[in-house]
Amino acid sequence: MTHKDRWLLWLFLAPTLLLIAVFLYYPMIGTVFESFRDTSFINPTPRFVGFEIYEKILASRDFHEILRNSIIWTLGVVILQNLLGFAAAVLLNQGLPMQGVLRAVVLMPFILPGVVTAILWRFMYDPQLGLINSLMMRFGFFEDGAAWLASSSTAMAAVIFVAIWKGFPFSMLIYLAALQNVDQSQVEAATLDGAGPVRRLFDVTIPAIKDVILVNIVLTLILTFNYFDIVWVLTRGGPQNATHIFPTKIFETGFGQFRFGEAATYGVFSIIVLAIFVALYVIVQKSASNRRPVA
Amino acid sequence: MKHTATTRFGLAALQIVLALFVLLPFFWMISVSLKPATEPFAIPARLWPTAPTLENYVTAFRPEFRTYFMNSIIVSGASVAITVTLALLAAYSFSRGKLIALTVLMGAVVIAQMFPHSAIIIPIYKMMRLADLLNTYTSLIIAYVSVTLPVAIWMLRGFLIKLPVSLEEAASIDGAGPVRVFWDIVVPLARPGVIATAVYVLIVTWQEFLFALSFTSTKEMRTLPVGLNDFIGQYGIRYGELMASSVMVSVPVIAIFFFLQRYLVAGLTAGAVKG
Repeated sequence: MTHKDRWLLWLFLAPTLLLIAVFLYYPMIGTVFESFRDTSFINPTPRFVGFEIYEKILASRDFHEILRNSIIWTLGVVILQNLLGFAAAVLLNQGLPMQGVLRAVVLMPFILPGVVTAILWRFMYDPQLGLINSLMMRFGFFEDGAAWLASSSTAMAAVIFVAIWKGFPFSMLIYLAALQNVDQSQVEAATLDGAGPVRRLFDVTIPAIKDVILVNIVLTLILTFNYFDIVWVLTRGGPQNATHIFPTKIFETGFGQFRFGEAATYGVFSIIVLAIFVALYVIVQKSASNRRPVA
Repeated sequence: MKHTATTRFGLAALQIVLALFVLLPFFWMISVSLKPATEPFAIPARLWPTAPTLENYVTAFRPEFRTYFMNSIIVSGASVAITVTLALLAAYSFSRGKLIALTVLMGAVVIAQMFPHSAIIIPIYKMMRLADLLNTYTSLIIAYVSVTLPVAIWMLRGFLIKLPVSLEEAASIDGAGPVRVFWDIVVPLARPGVIATAVYVLIVTWQEFLFALSFTSTKEMRTLPVGLNDFIGQYGIRYGELMASSVMVSVPVIAIFFFLQRYLVAGLTAGAVKG
């Protein structure tokens, strides 16, 4: 593109920049403004209240439960999804006969719409009719069905399990692409030096793809923290807040009770918590890789 | 990689476990969707119905469901067309322009893709209400285009960067104007990237739930995910119909995915791995 064609460049960019500014950046700032104003269904005229809603939320039990749930949920899904995704990628990169078909088949949960996934798993978890309890009864684990989603001690684990089932194929996809780019001569050199498969994995493969691991974890961290559909359809945040995370709480407050000010304040809190999450992870990752130089 | 016979056996066993973990829920969904409404649920459940039938599909394909389907096709179709067009134009500018301002703007686009939808939805909802667009296709299409644009630009830019600029320069020297260079050279070459991006946007918008749930208020405007969610309350215990509806919602995207898989896989991994 020559200097005099610059007008075209800006013309091409104009609609995109306009949309992103109006519908992504403005709402991001708008949420902060919204959080300083109190509105409710009965009293729809906004009233400026400063940090009043923040104080109210910080003092509430709900907030602490949601914060705790969000941390458990995010860490649980991100760690397990990446471990499983990585393991599956290694497994499907061994040159076994069925690997081509399996690589495509394993991606299916990732394509399956979130609401369908949630409905399907609600049914899988059904105490009487569900497949999980049926199989467990058949193999004699217990007589009566456990109510996985209705009991506050198992609900979170059950929801995390579904998120991993749907999410690990995406992690696998990225890891698989990274594994295929690993320099094979290094792997062979390590083999000649007498390194077994486990040592090769930890000493050659993982250091070679550590940037991809960083990207993958940050990506799944953000996606998981902002998850809505599966959690909402599976449990509506219940039982008794046991699976309420920031997005479900924001939706319930904003569109269930039309308390926009409070919903927006939860939105601001969620952005702050997410930012802390990502920052902490990047710091930990940086200091870890500084301590252990790659050979 | 060479493996001993024992290792191969172990790895094959692990592959079967992985396949079962992934496929069992799908199998169950199809099995229940084929179970006649008259066949009682056995406890413990039977894995496959004794007399499979399509009657659940016929019942589930009721008028409301057809409306939801049409709405999903309109909203997703329009979103895919608009997002891919705008993203291709923007990605071209981002990949060919050499201004510092563009680098900064690209950074702003990448950051925008991390904005939590639940955190930005209330101001967007208020804008739509002000413009009297709630409960319309337009509100959903605008929201979907805006939230899918950042990733679409990122995917297409990764693709365009790898195309040789020499072809465009040659055409330029031959006297082609910048618009012709874009239309005759860049657009045809970008086809695999465009397909990948279109599939990605389709998968995202076909299942989008939060905006659709918040912006639509009547049955006439519901999309499939919201409609399915409504079914839970209405037909809670009729799992056969619910599963048949679920299969019908999923088949279009899964079919398109299998058809165009290699494009999508290449498009999604290019940025993360090379970037």
